[in-house]
Amino acid sequence: MKNLTFLFVMAAGLFAIATVQAADIKVIANDSVKASSVSADELKRVFLLTRNSLDDGSHAEPVLLKGGAAHEAFLREFLGKTDSALQTYYRSLVFTGKASMPKTVGSDAEVVSFVVKTKGAIGYISSAAIAPGAKTLEVK
Amino acid sequence: MHSGIAKTFLLLAGVCAVSALPAQDLSQYTTFTVDGKTVQIHGFASQGFMYSGNNNYLSANTTDGSFQMTDAGVNISSQITDKFRVGAQVYMFDVGKLGDYHPEIDWAYGSYKFSDWFGIRAGKVKTTFGLFTDTQDMTFLSTFAMLPQAIYPIDRRDESLAHTGGDIFGTIPLKQAGSLSYTGFAGDSWDTHNGGFIYSLLASGSGINLTKFGGLEAGGDLRWNVPLNGMVVGASYMRQYFSGNGTCEGGACPFFNAGGNGPYWESARNDYNTQFYGEYVHGRFRFDAEHRRTVRDHTIFSGANMNAFDIRAFYVAGAYRLSKHFELGSYYSRGIAHMDSSDIPDNVTHILDKVVCLRYDITTAWNVKVEGHFMNGVGSKFLPWGFYPSVNPQGLVDQTPLLVVRTGWYF
Repeated sequence: MKNLTFLFVMAAGLFAIATVQAADIKVIANDSVKASSVSADELKRVFLLTRNSLDDGSHAEPVLLKGGAAHEAFLREFLGKTDSALQTYYRSLVFTGKASMPKTVGSDAEVVSFVVKTKGAIGYISSAAIAPGAKTLEVK
Repeated sequence: MHSGIAKTFLLLAGVCAVSALPAQDLSQYTTFTVDGKTVQIHGFASQGFMYSGNNNYLSANTTDGSFQMTDAGVNISSQITDKFRVGAQVYMFDVGKLGDYHPEIDWAYGSYKFSDWFGIRAGKVKTTFGLFTDTQDMTFLSTFAMLPQAIYPIDRRDESLAHTGGDIFGTIPLKQAGSLSYTGFAGDSWDTHNGGFIYSLLASGSGINLTKFGGLEAGGDLRWNVPLNGMVVGASYMRQYFSGNGTCEGGACPFFNAGGNGPYWESARNDYNTQFYGEYVHGRFRFDAEHRRTVRDHTIFSGANMNAFDIRAFYVAGAYRLSKHFELGSYYSRGIAHMDSSDIPDNVTHILDKVVCLRYDITTAWNVKVEGHFMNGVGSKFLPWGFYPSVNPQGLVDQTPLLVVRTGWYF
């Protein structure tokens, strides 16, 4: 009985951590992006390189983190892929000529810097990070 | 046998030694701008080692261990505008007596997207057919060192890999029902001179020496991106109007006078391929399954004979990512070919393969795979399925255990 209780508490804890991580990111965009919100489907298609504009006609260019908790949470929440599966997917497009490899950077600060200076850039950072000069997009 | 084992350890030791070097980030050298447009260069190379028991495979001397499994490619591309991109890739390979490091244009085309649901491509385009037809020559992308050979034969991939012509393509959202992605294609497809079909006819002792084989092909692919995240199901269809021209040695060709060569031609009466497939990726787990039917119904020997193949093949594959560096995969594949010809009615051959593979990602850009195959079946003179009599003068036996070690690097 003690073991069962312990396992339950562990599972609840892991679930809580996962839930916190999924909510602990924010999507930011360059000011040239007209929309203040984006659908999850739009966001997925931009980051899976099947479209390079949003429904409002704004040019959209994804930027990704190379790794870390925010990156893992974004992939899990919005793309449904692991990092290795995503990289394989990108390479299959690049090596058949269907897309260019998207920009990847090493930190939240680099994401913000790229988003601020690049027309149409959309990226994600941990929600605690500040993003001066970039707008936050609500994901519906 | 001892030399084969020694070569295996030598390759693995070499990979381990080089993997100790610090990883290099080459992106600063591979992305640049021209006239304000971003241009990217990417490339890959792979080296494999095959070691088999009983039979030599893929025209290489694999029973002694063979390193004749090399390929490389480099591409350049640019997104000129939001809707228009161009690019090209050069590729070369050497597998046994095939390829011979002869560089070929793998693809070179322009693509224009009018909208998400309609775009066009024109040039030499990799053919979208099933899950892996367009990437079958880039196995560094796969869990496996070799894709299921019953559906993606290395020695016959020229027949389906790419076409010179055009595509229409697009994705149609279905709201709660996911989305549909379609591709329609048409164009010419020609076997390379060192490609498998031309080689297999020569190596079979038929006396046929084709200088040209291929022709028009047209078809389509429709895949449903199911609302369940990570699942895709689809179907592809292709008709091929292939023909071949060359010569045939009089002695080997019964329909010519003895001595000297005679002109040879063959042409398709009814060639088509169908493929049904499904893929499901969930977290660390991946599952793929495909079924392909290939019908080749040709007039051969310059009109004197007819020959029809009906090949049905399938595989089921699973892979699980154990950790950041390791992935384990396995597949079972089976191909059955019925051949009917004017003088050899209803000849049936098969190829079965049970495979286990361990993939190790040394870095994000470099992997090595160790893969075991347990094959049953050796094809026939007219459909060798990788088992060529020319490199198996001792005859062929049904069982072929095969070890493949393959390392791939890309940037």
